[in-house]
Amino acid sequence: MDDQAFLDYVQAGGQVETGDSMPADYRAKLVKFIEMHGNSELMGVLPEREWILRAPTLQRKLALTAKVQDEVGHSQLIYRVVEDLGKPREQCLADLISGKAKFHNVFHYPTKTWGDVGVIAWLVDAAAIISQKALLRCSYAPYARIMKKICWEESFHILHGRDVILTMMNGTDEQRELVQEALNRWWGPLMQFHGNPIPKEDDPMYVWRIKSQGNEEARQQFLDGYVPQIWELGLTVPDAKLRKRDDGVWEYSEPDWDELKHVVTGHGPKTQERLAFRRKFLEQEAWVRSVVLAEAA
Amino acid sequence: MSAPALLELADDELILGWRDSEWTGIAPSLEEDVAFSSIAQNEIGHARALYELAARELGTTADELAFDRDPSEYRSAPLVEQRRLEWAHTIARHYLYETADEIRLAALKQADDADVAGLAAKMDREEQYHRLHARMWNERLRDEPRYQEALRELWPLALGVLAPEQRAELAGRVGFEPVDAVERDRQSEELRELWEEMTMVRRSVPGATW
Repeated sequence: MDDQAFLDYVQAGGQVETGDSMPADYRAKLVKFIEMHGNSELMGVLPEREWILRAPTLQRKLALTAKVQDEVGHSQLIYRVVEDLGKPREQCLADLISGKAKFHNVFHYPTKTWGDVGVIAWLVDAAAIISQKALLRCSYAPYARIMKKICWEESFHILHGRDVILTMMNGTDEQRELVQEALNRWWGPLMQFHGNPIPKEDDPMYVWRIKSQGNEEARQQFLDGYVPQIWELGLTVPDAKLRKRDDGVWEYSEPDWDELKHVVTGHGPKTQERLAFRRKFLEQEAWVRSVVLAEAA
Repeated sequence: MSAPALLELADDELILGWRDSEWTGIAPSLEEDVAFSSIAQNEIGHARALYELAARELGTTADELAFDRDPSEYRSAPLVEQRRLEWAHTIARHYLYETADEIRLAALKQADDADVAGLAAKMDREEQYHRLHARMWNERLRDEPRYQEALRELWPLALGVLAPEQRAELAGRVGFEPVDAVERDRQSEELRELWEEMTMVRRSVPGATW
């Protein structure tokens, strides 16, 4: 199959398996996209990790620990897909901590209160599941298959997050304030999450049918699914321009695309600290990996 | 079984679960990250079940027992209170604790109180996987000087997990000479720090539902 025939095949809904021949550009794009997803799951652990220790009830502690464990498990699954495409996990981790590889914008920000923990589990995971559901139709079949498990687990995270938020909204004024402040902090990054609104025909990830929807489509789906729920809880979305037009399209203030670019290129408020934290433990425990590798040899 | 005896066990499981959960996201491999997270969840689940038994007797709730006591009231063993975010000590503690816990649970499974015996049997079914995991790591690391040193350092604390009459058996199982145990009666600075952190959100709005 030449490159054009391959392109026609995936654009007609065809799927590819690991051993099939594929254009070099397609393979490279797959690795880049899937690796970033794996990195994001792994870096996504850090904003929530410190709150595992501060969870205010035994039930919340168990739920949050299980949720974060799921994210580590997702990164493990995803890196395996990348490995089959030719890039070993060790290399992915090395590129991640050296700052060469990217991860999602939302994981570069601080988690200031228990309100943030709820907003992350509810809305960040909601935004993520919209992207991930669209990957169920990915042209690379092994990736599409693991996405079933991932989407299933993410849907529980959203329920957990919504429950955290709902409990606080039904609580005291101070608790409601914690949620509103967290929403104010996260709204900008959430609106940037799905990327700038380039036409999907110009997005190489869509052209190869790695993604099955455009960025703006994903953002509209997020707004349509969650803004009514946010309002229903009595929260205010910090965007005066936000409204749903009669034709069903959501209007909103232009997200700060410069901020997005700045953050994902390693300049977010917590980027360097989190990478340094990961580096510290990788170095500290390098001896453990040597022992395990020696045993395997 | 009396509430204070249940609380000793519950506090051990809670504090160890809290410590183990600190590895989330930073363990030496993704596989160990997931494993330690599972172990932490089991330990905290056990703590919750034990607190529920004690709470019935004391007329309170599991959450109030876990979070709302003063740090001086916790009865956890110094072994579980130590903050050692470093693999050699983590595995040494894991191995010593799980070995001690097996001895403790075997006795509890024979308890006259059916609730306690039933819960001990249920806990033991999960703990056997922790023991497999701990023994695998003990085998792997046993020739490493830093691991041997960690075992030696933690040994007197491990003895303090058990009642005096159970300690000889622990010494036999791990192959160490009995020494003076570090008892539960002392308050560690590390427990106070952990307590500050684990109750921080809960204390921020007293009496609120979370």
